[in-house]
Amino acid sequence: MDKLSLPPEWNAACVRVEDYLRAHRVSSRTHLLQLTLDMTAAAQAEYREGSPETPVQAALRLATARTEMWFSLLAGSDSSTDTTAASRGRVAYFVTECNRRWPAAFLDPSPPPEMLAAIRNATIQAGPALEFRSLVRKEIDYGPMEDIARETWDQFSWGHVLRAFAIWVVIFFAAYGIWLRFFS
Amino acid sequence: MRPFLKTEALPADVVTLRRALFLATGGGILLAGGFLMFSILSPGGVSALEWILLGLFIPLFAQISFGFAIAFWGFAILLRGDSYQVMRTLPPNSPGDPPPGSTAVVLPVFNEDPSRIFAGLENMFRSISATPDSHSFDFFVLSDSNVPNRWIEEELAWVGLCKRLNAFGRIFYRKRRVPIHGKSGNIADFCRRWGGRYRYLIILDADSVMEGETLVRLARAMDANPRVGVIQTQPSIVRGASLLQRLIQFTTRVAGPVFAAGSNFWHLDAGNYWGHNAIIRLQPFMEHCVLPEIPGSTAANRHIMSHDTIEAALMRRAGFQVWFAYLEPGSYEEGPPNLLESLKRDRRWCQGNLQHFWFLFAPSTSFANRLHIFFGLMAYLTAPMLILFMLASAVDFHGRQHYAVLADRLAEMQSAPRASLLLLAVTVCLLFLPKLFGTVLLIRKASPFGGPVLLVASGLLETALSILLAPVLLYFYTKFVVLGLLGIRVAWKSQNRSSSAIPFADALRTFGEPTVAGVLATAAAVVWTPQLIPWLSPILVGWLLAIPLAMATSSERIGLWLARIGLLQIPEESELPAILTGLDAPPNASPYSHSGLLHVALSPYANSVHASMLRRSTVKARHKEAYLTSLRVRLLSGGPENLSRRELLSLLWDAEAVALLHREVWQCADDNLHSWWREGMKQFSEASALRDR
Repeated sequence: MDKLSLPPEWNAACVRVEDYLRAHRVSSRTHLLQLTLDMTAAAQAEYREGSPETPVQAALRLATARTEMWFSLLAGSDSSTDTTAASRGRVAYFVTECNRRWPAAFLDPSPPPEMLAAIRNATIQAGPALEFRSLVRKEIDYGPMEDIARETWDQFSWGHVLRAFAIWVVIFFAAYGIWLRFFS
Repeated sequence: MRPFLKTEALPADVVTLRRALFLATGGGILLAGGFLMFSILSPGGVSALEWILLGLFIPLFAQISFGFAIAFWGFAILLRGDSYQVMRTLPPNSPGDPPPGSTAVVLPVFNEDPSRIFAGLENMFRSISATPDSHSFDFFVLSDSNVPNRWIEEELAWVGLCKRLNAFGRIFYRKRRVPIHGKSGNIADFCRRWGGRYRYLIILDADSVMEGETLVRLARAMDANPRVGVIQTQPSIVRGASLLQRLIQFTTRVAGPVFAAGSNFWHLDAGNYWGHNAIIRLQPFMEHCVLPEIPGSTAANRHIMSHDTIEAALMRRAGFQVWFAYLEPGSYEEGPPNLLESLKRDRRWCQGNLQHFWFLFAPSTSFANRLHIFFGLMAYLTAPMLILFMLASAVDFHGRQHYAVLADRLAEMQSAPRASLLLLAVTVCLLFLPKLFGTVLLIRKASPFGGPVLLVASGLLETALSILLAPVLLYFYTKFVVLGLLGIRVAWKSQNRSSSAIPFADALRTFGEPTVAGVLATAAAVVWTPQLIPWLSPILVGWLLAIPLAMATSSERIGLWLARIGLLQIPEESELPAILTGLDAPPNASPYSHSGLLHVALSPYANSVHASMLRRSTVKARHKEAYLTSLRVRLLSGGPENLSRRELLSLLWDAEAVALLHREVWQCADDNLHSWWREGMKQFSEASALRDR
């Protein structure tokens, strides 16, 4: 099959595949183009007329499946659905800078043994091994102020405040009335 | 100076003598001030209002007198040299020394700019790697960030840094899922997970930087003194660009040392802890310093917001010493860029300090810690007291004047001004002498400050600006105290430490209040007590100018212009230490408000790094899976604005969902993607292509 004569509706798929692979920081330009065309062509070959998928979807399904499978293999897993292994492999590929050290090895079914060794030795460790300790809160005696405060909280309500306010208003007006009546 | 080999050998009589001298100095000045005030109020008898005035004056003047006493003894001790400094107990380095105890250096972060955090961390790691003892130190970034972008940026910055420095296994990153109890909860979580692995803990702030040599010396000082629980360093405030930052950093460099030395003079082994740039002995910290609940009517009210002072008190209560290594160099932090950020921080501190009230009466609190707590409380409580004092003074003056005119006893009022002027002179001296002490100490080695002339000129400028700013702070501190007493709580918010000017609209919104207060107070003074206007003018002018002041102090242009002409200069500006280089990297500028999300969805590496750091659940409830699927569908079809922050965080906390999101976004046809994704993919691909070139 002529890899350079893709039908026009597959152009968008080809561009998306290239973007996707470039996102993996493939440093060899020729390798990137080759992989892009290979994958798009493979997707086109698998594509059936009347499929509910668009060419972009079909091409990217194949591209993501292939890369994830490859990263899983790098991480030592042979399951195509093991997203954990794929993540692990990708991170290791990234931190060991395999893209720069082995530029043509990306998606190579038999990667160089040095690269495999580097990847399997790479780990990112977010924290050291846990050594759990329990922290126990000790009660503190805050003295007499605490008792006064607690009594206030236990007994306080806005109803009491309003009642007290009403009583004082009555007393005030009564006193004022007495003063006006008898002393002014 | 006398030798000081062990902090345990601190003579008890020295502690007693120093505290007696300090209390006698502060108390003596307070007594004299109180007498002067009484002599002002007493002619014609002391009315009920005047007793209230006197009652307000005593604590207000106490704050000034004891502040002066600290500065005075600090000045004296800096002239003479202090025998009793914790770092003097360090034996000289020798090649056969065992490595210092294992130490975790932790940076609790909460939505701060990751580029700045990790640049500082990189400098610290490089600095400690240059020492022979670097292997005793591990670094932890303890993230409580709840902005999805920040979280992703932090993770990527961490991986990038570890990769660059080959520091996997030495620099760690931990993201807390439920960030309860703010920074103290963050540290407690670290202690629960890894506290057993380390002997010491060095706590930093997101903007703190410490020299490797300083970290080693602190750990060695702890090794040398097994009864020391905490050593607090005095971080130099650096890297200021805005006028406010440069003002703060200059003040702390001139007056800071006298206050620091004076504090150490009286408290010695009973120092305070500021929550960062300090080393802590982990075992007793975990055993004795778990924050107790304070009395409160609700669970939220029972949590202590401001933990550091209380942790120091608990450490002392457990029999450990708390020292202040005030002369130790190589400890840095940054100041808030503008008045808004500074006030945000003050509001948190104010509410935290008000909570400390309970410990004043706790029988187990030691005398020195009680004083620390009291000073912390009074730092904010004096603001409403001063406003009440001014109001009461104005009312009293108005009444006296009215009475004097009616009773034809104006002559009696004439005796007051002399005593008033004397009291004013004493107060001004007490307020400004500490700055003079600091300047005197620096004048002979003033070249890093631009030379003696520029040092003095900077001091005068700083004093003038401080006088203008003080009333604005007075207004807001009063407001914070009132809000605090009403029980209106504040959330733990990150500081925006990147310099940023306050726009007029923001300035008007926040600083319009003191301006209105200034207009009303001026009008009231003109109508009722016009004679008091000259006395009240420092306050009134500060309030009236609050808006332009807030805007001017937030200006980097003014700050940097002053730097160019050599004003408010600090030594780190004339010669930048290596540890502070490269911290100016611009924050990750992105046209997208969700750039982190875009990155984690599109970049295979960002996605895998993020997913690999999440705990995977072996069993997932069907309803949770359906929920996460619905979130992904909504995210792809409606863009990130279609999801709340909480929903985005739910999605990002699930490793499987994150991996699926990556797959789905790449596989999705353009027509089914929201325009935000389409545009994002275009930008992302262009950026990838550019990087490849």
